[in-house]
Amino acid sequence: MPEGYLPILVMLLVTGAFATIALVVSAVLGPKRSNPAKDEAYESGILPFGDARRRFPVQFYVIAVLFILFDVEVILMYPWAVSARKLGVFGLIEMAIFLGILLVGFVYAWKNDAFKWQ
Amino acid sequence: MNLTDLTYLLPELILLLAATAVFLLDLLWLKRPGAEGKRALLPYVALVGLGLAALGLIPSLGGVRQVATMLAADPFAVFFKALAIIGVAVVILTAIPYLRGRTPYRGEFYALLLAVTLAVCLAVGATNLVLIYLGMEFLSITSYVLVGFLRHDCKSGEAALKYFLYGATASAVMLYGMSLLYGATGTTDLGGIAAAFASAPQGAGAGLAWLGTPAIILLLAGFGFKASLVPFHQWAPDTYEGAPTPVTAFLSTVSKATGFAVLIRVFMVVLAAMQYQWTALLIAVSIVTMTLGNLTALRQTNIKRLLAYSSIAQAGYILIGVAAVWMSGATFTGLNGVLIYLFAYLFTNVGAFAVVTAVESATGATEVKDYAGLVTRSPWLAGLLFVFLISLAGIPPTGGFMGKFFVFGAAVQQRLWVLVAIAAVNSVIAAFYYLNVVRYMFFTPAEEGAEPIGVAWPLRGALLVTAVLTLLLGLAPGPLITWATHSVQLLALR
Repeated sequence: MPEGYLPILVMLLVTGAFATIALVVSAVLGPKRSNPAKDEAYESGILPFGDARRRFPVQFYVIAVLFILFDVEVILMYPWAVSARKLGVFGLIEMAIFLGILLVGFVYAWKNDAFKWQ
Repeated sequence: MNLTDLTYLLPELILLLAATAVFLLDLLWLKRPGAEGKRALLPYVALVGLGLAALGLIPSLGGVRQVATMLAADPFAVFFKALAIIGVAVVILTAIPYLRGRTPYRGEFYALLLAVTLAVCLAVGATNLVLIYLGMEFLSITSYVLVGFLRHDCKSGEAALKYFLYGATASAVMLYGMSLLYGATGTTDLGGIAAAFASAPQGAGAGLAWLGTPAIILLLAGFGFKASLVPFHQWAPDTYEGAPTPVTAFLSTVSKATGFAVLIRVFMVVLAAMQYQWTALLIAVSIVTMTLGNLTALRQTNIKRLLAYSSIAQAGYILIGVAAVWMSGATFTGLNGVLIYLFAYLFTNVGAFAVVTAVESATGATEVKDYAGLVTRSPWLAGLLFVFLISLAGIPPTGGFMGKFFVFGAAVQQRLWVLVAIAAVNSVIAAFYYLNVVRYMFFTPAEEGAEPIGVAWPLRGALLVTAVLTLLLGLAPGPLITWATHSVQLLALR
């Protein structure tokens, strides 16, 4: 039976209680002085303009997908670089194969004008 | 990891190289004036790659081996790898005329089909939950792209989006089930989890049963999504209808078989100690799947949607075979029926979709009423579709009959009378809508001025292969039965 999971249950209750108390207390005790500037959407300091729900070029999508792909590639290279000495030639060849496959995809995307703004 | 291990990985390596080669050749011949003729060779390059991958299966034959800690080269995996390679090869043949004029990115399509074959090979051989998840995800993501391949076709995009949303949810739920198994046993290796379950104290409320039951249900969401079992089937009709027809043929056969292969491997190996629980669940899912699939298929007017619901119903029949597996210790019987069914169903359904592709390529029509008088427009297509439909209905002398015979036979041996009775009633319902298409083809006159339908050569090849094998598996099923019976050997079950 799940006796071993009791600490997780306690943890669940404590976090739930903490979140509820923090929200309720700040809602009850906190001062409420609103002004137009405060009610605006927060856009990292830039003044917001227009509606967020509008059409935007689907090209962003391609760029975003490619960005994630190569972002993850680089993230994988960090742990490999740290243990490159331990992994030796085997690790080097594996990384070369991995990068080679990605490179094919990169060249394919490039030649098919994925990076050109149409 | 040594060089002998690499020979067991030959199919995967060849498929990877072939996919890369097709990508690069496509690139090389892109935009070069006068290279259009060369680009037409790309599907044949892909077919050569598949042929070499099939040859690469030879070192893996006839043995149960562990490869590189996470993969199995056992007869079970070899069977499904062969099924995937053959299936995709036929799908490529049907895609050659279909894609012409529909998209300029044809090379990419064949490269993706090779990649998806690689994904199937990884998924069916994986013996580790992590690799199973990665293989299924690889398969899913590539499938999403293939479904939405016709970029300027709204239906194709809609199909891809629906498939993606269901798929993402299903794989998240499946991952949760895997995390439960990992949390309960501390390992992701299938054999390790099985050992932990077997050594835990047995009985209600004791041991790991309280975690195993939810894990079974959650895992079934992921596997059932691929196999299009009710209630994880809602994506199937819309996706099958909107996707390019060759991709639909792929999804309804190879992709479905992968779902069953992974389901069988995980449930048989890992949860052998809990067979009582998952058998009960699978029987219920099987009944709901075939009944709902068949009843909904009755009212379909679009041939692709009709075949989609028929494919859901077929998944229900196949699941009977999994539910009727009888296990005691390391030996089990009844599973060969599932493999026979899946193999016969591969040719039957790809063949049926090849006819749909032929009609759609020539006329653009996908409604059942457009098949009126097909016999006068193309006697060959009508005759072949007739063969495929009676095979789907399970009427001899076709492969579909052999599949049903073995699967229902296993259920009879297990005395699952209710299941058998419901399956029999369902077969009758199914015969009605399959034969309804036959009625349109042969007994309803064609529209005024309907022209004969020409069929491109590659498609003729696909139709020939599927029709011959559909009939051959029904007339001389001996070799398939022997092969399937020998293929029921899984790593870590001995």
